[in-house]
Amino acid sequence: MSRLTAYRALCGAVGALFVVSGLICFAGFFRAQAPGGEMAGPIPLGVGGLYFLAFTGCALVGWGGALLGAARQPHTHRTVGTAAAFALVMMAVYRIAAWLIGDYAFLGNLPRVEAAVLLLFALAFVWLRPPAVSEA
Amino acid sequence: MLRWLATAAIAALLVLDVVLPHTSLGRRGPEALQRADVAGVTVQVGAPAPDVSLRTLEGAPLSLARFRGHPLLVTFERSVDW
Repeated sequence: MSRLTAYRALCGAVGALFVVSGLICFAGFFRAQAPGGEMAGPIPLGVGGLYFLAFTGCALVGWGGALLGAARQPHTHRTVGTAAAFALVMMAVYRIAAWLIGDYAFLGNLPRVEAAVLLLFALAFVWLRPPAVSEA
Repeated sequence: MLRWLATAAIAALLVLDVVLPHTSLGRRGPEALQRADVAGVTVQVGAPAPDVSLRTLEGAPLSLARFRGHPLLVTFERSVDW
């Protein structure tokens, strides 16, 4: 598998995952509006948490869509991979901080494991990014 | 050059993520130091509470034994103290 193919596969897989996750988050907001619906989720979010869940869903759909675009045209969408790597690092940083703070002790070591996975994905985005193509 | 800088930053975070449980911060950071004071202490329902020494918000020492014989409501909260 060539580097470009691997980059396209990475963008496509992560993009599709983000779009699906985003739609689930978005739908979760509306599902929670039904009587007793808020208690159906794994973590009780409250009205504020649900509001940001919907926001996260919308952002994930946009982010995932951009990654899908990068999978189709990797040379002209290089910056999508760079931005994705930066955002993944940010996500890892707050997970490490959450583990340290202790408010999320009920999650155990999950934040640290997630942070490690996100950082590895960020490394993949950094190293698989295709070279720039000069415009004609 | 930027690629290597990004790699160094990500690698540093990965190392931090892996070694954190083995650092002085330990599991859950500063709270772990406080937990060591009460490690092994168990409280049975209905039994007298064990005496513990705390500090007030002003820093003065405070012992639970001081309230012995009086009704006392004890609540537990946590705060981040970096």
